[in-house]
Amino acid sequence: MSTIVWNREGVVENDRWASNGDESPFVGIDEALELAATGGSDIGVIVTPADDVARLATIIDRLTIVAVDFPAFNDGRAFSHATLLRERLGFTGEIRAVGAVLLDQVPFMLRVGIDSVETAHEPTARRLTEMRLPGIDLHYQPAARPAEPTNTYSWRRRAAG
Amino acid sequence: MYRYDEFDRDFVSARVAQFRDQVERRLTGEISEDAFKPLRLMNGVYLQLHAYMLRVAIPYGTLSSRQMRMLAHIGRKYDRGYGHFTTRQNIQYNWPKLGDIPGILDDLASVEMHAIQTSGNCIRNVTADHFAGAAADEVADPRPYAEILRQWSSLHPEFSFLPRKFKIAVTAAENDRAAIQVHDIGLQLKRNDDGEIGFAVYIGGGQGRTPMIAKKIKDFLPEADLLSYITAIMRVYNLHGRRDNKYKARIKILVHETGTEELAAQIEAEWAHLREGELKLPDADIARITDYFAPPELPARAEGWAELAAWKKSDSGFASWVNRNVRPHRHPDYGMVTISLKPIGGIPGDASSDQMDVIADLAEQYGFDEIRVTHEQNLVLPHVALADLEPLYRALQAEGLATANSGLVTDIIACPGLDYCALANARSIPVAQEISERFGDQARQEEIGDLKIKISGCINACGHHHVGHIGILGVEKKGAELYQITLGGSGDENTSIGEIVGRGFEPEKVTDAIETIVSTYLSGRTGTGETFIDYYRRVGAAPFKQALYGDTAAAA
Repeated sequence: MSTIVWNREGVVENDRWASNGDESPFVGIDEALELAATGGSDIGVIVTPADDVARLATIIDRLTIVAVDFPAFNDGRAFSHATLLRERLGFTGEIRAVGAVLLDQVPFMLRVGIDSVETAHEPTARRLTEMRLPGIDLHYQPAARPAEPTNTYSWRRRAAG
Repeated sequence: MYRYDEFDRDFVSARVAQFRDQVERRLTGEISEDAFKPLRLMNGVYLQLHAYMLRVAIPYGTLSSRQMRMLAHIGRKYDRGYGHFTTRQNIQYNWPKLGDIPGILDDLASVEMHAIQTSGNCIRNVTADHFAGAAADEVADPRPYAEILRQWSSLHPEFSFLPRKFKIAVTAAENDRAAIQVHDIGLQLKRNDDGEIGFAVYIGGGQGRTPMIAKKIKDFLPEADLLSYITAIMRVYNLHGRRDNKYKARIKILVHETGTEELAAQIEAEWAHLREGELKLPDADIARITDYFAPPELPARAEGWAELAAWKKSDSGFASWVNRNVRPHRHPDYGMVTISLKPIGGIPGDASSDQMDVIADLAEQYGFDEIRVTHEQNLVLPHVALADLEPLYRALQAEGLATANSGLVTDIIACPGLDYCALANARSIPVAQEISERFGDQARQEEIGDLKIKISGCINACGHHHVGHIGILGVEKKGAELYQITLGGSGDENTSIGEIVGRGFEPEKVTDAIETIVSTYLSGRTGTGETFIDYYRRVGAAPFKQALYGDTAAAA
């Protein structure tokens, strides 16, 4: 099995934003701003860990997809980037996790508003293909992805549907 | 104390199932040790020198007897008949098998316990004053807020892969027994002029190789804003904390490099977006959590006053124990009892399963079913009638648990050191044991008075040597163990970082050096009213250097 693109419906075949060898379908934030300034739209941008996502605020409507980069399992900045894209910038398009995406982080990714992941990690790809996610449906805190309040405390949520 | 509801129970079972799946994937080789490491760490499983180590969370150090019995059972069934209480109010087991750990977690879940976030780069167990809910000097019980933080931080999707571990401590008294100024976030519960509850917020304290005292960034945070403000701190840290060097990744370095004012402004700006959002705490929710911590109904037991005086008169050992290990309770007929886990010559913080069972029984019999773990690696029964102190003492004595040394020179904090820990450069436990033996005489300890010795086996400072009145740091030099001594540290409301007194000592010379330091203090103090730390603050390091190294060092 090679690299797959996956969302909560399952594996996505022939996705137009799938990486194609060494060629990235995404542009960086600087280039995205330039494209938008010259009237471009339907832009796919990649946010790397040190980036400031707030720079995308003025062009958020021109973006079709934002890729957030997880260069390593222990670099969790993209969780904040995704949260800010959803909650602060009101981005409603697709957010995709790319890079070192491993199974046990996927449930967290979905909660912060990430819709899809691209992964080359074979055991992760297999479990995702089988739709066997290791997540927990009870949450002690609200997050970007909407969830149901509970009848207990204000900070708790239960996964919707 | 807090009791799980259905949500908590279902959550913890789901977490055990999740971890069992992760362990199975590791045991079948589906995931590598490298990939498994962050997963096991998030559930308190370390790989030490000889075996896996499991650290179990004891939120804000509060336990019931039933829970203590389960800790005893786990020690007996899966370990070697004991457990080790830690400086973060947790317990760790040094010898479990990886395959057994999911079963241990099932056992823990049956008494509303877990090992979630006791390690890893996430928000760790939230600690609090071990006398919470009993101390006369507290504004309100800090534990409800620690519990709210515990819940909110559990498997937080945004803050589970931080640059580094993150520790929060809460206190509610001016006399800080939770060492909040050496935590990533320290919260001091207080009331404003209108009588409303809020927090002074400190950030960026910590020990390790770059010890720093926390900076206050907010004088009064209203209680309703607790979660939104902490979220703002965490987000700024998650995005901007350094990830290029694990030794510079704690928030203290971010505070130091960014500047307190600038970082506070960034946090404030982030908070402005969050403050009126869904994290605002409703009064009703705070009240419901607070109800769980309602103090027990304490009947008047005034007969204890006269009995206590008579017992003390007839038994000097008992009198010593009361003087050192019993503190005034907010109810005048009661006391807060420290059970020392520092027997003379023993391993600091260790308790056998049999001892844990006895303590559980005594807590039921005399202590309203409540036990606390202190960050100084002792246990506390927070509510004991003065009239029950004598039988309690006898029962503790029979188990070797009545050492009258709370706060004295033999009440030593020590990390596991090279006997267990893969990070250590030097042994800690044997050093503690030898010092304890040397100063074990009760009259001599009492003569010396309040003196905190803290020992770390490496620069990561798990033994809190930076805030010991006398700190001992084990280092490795040319393949041999060497011990550096620091003086003048303190982890209370007057927090200070100890200063290195001079060149280090070989293992066999450490205890003599401590003896020299103690003698210097005893001969120089104005009287028994001047404690070691007061003396050090008055005279500085010079007389100690002179005594330890002679004229050359003193002049240098």
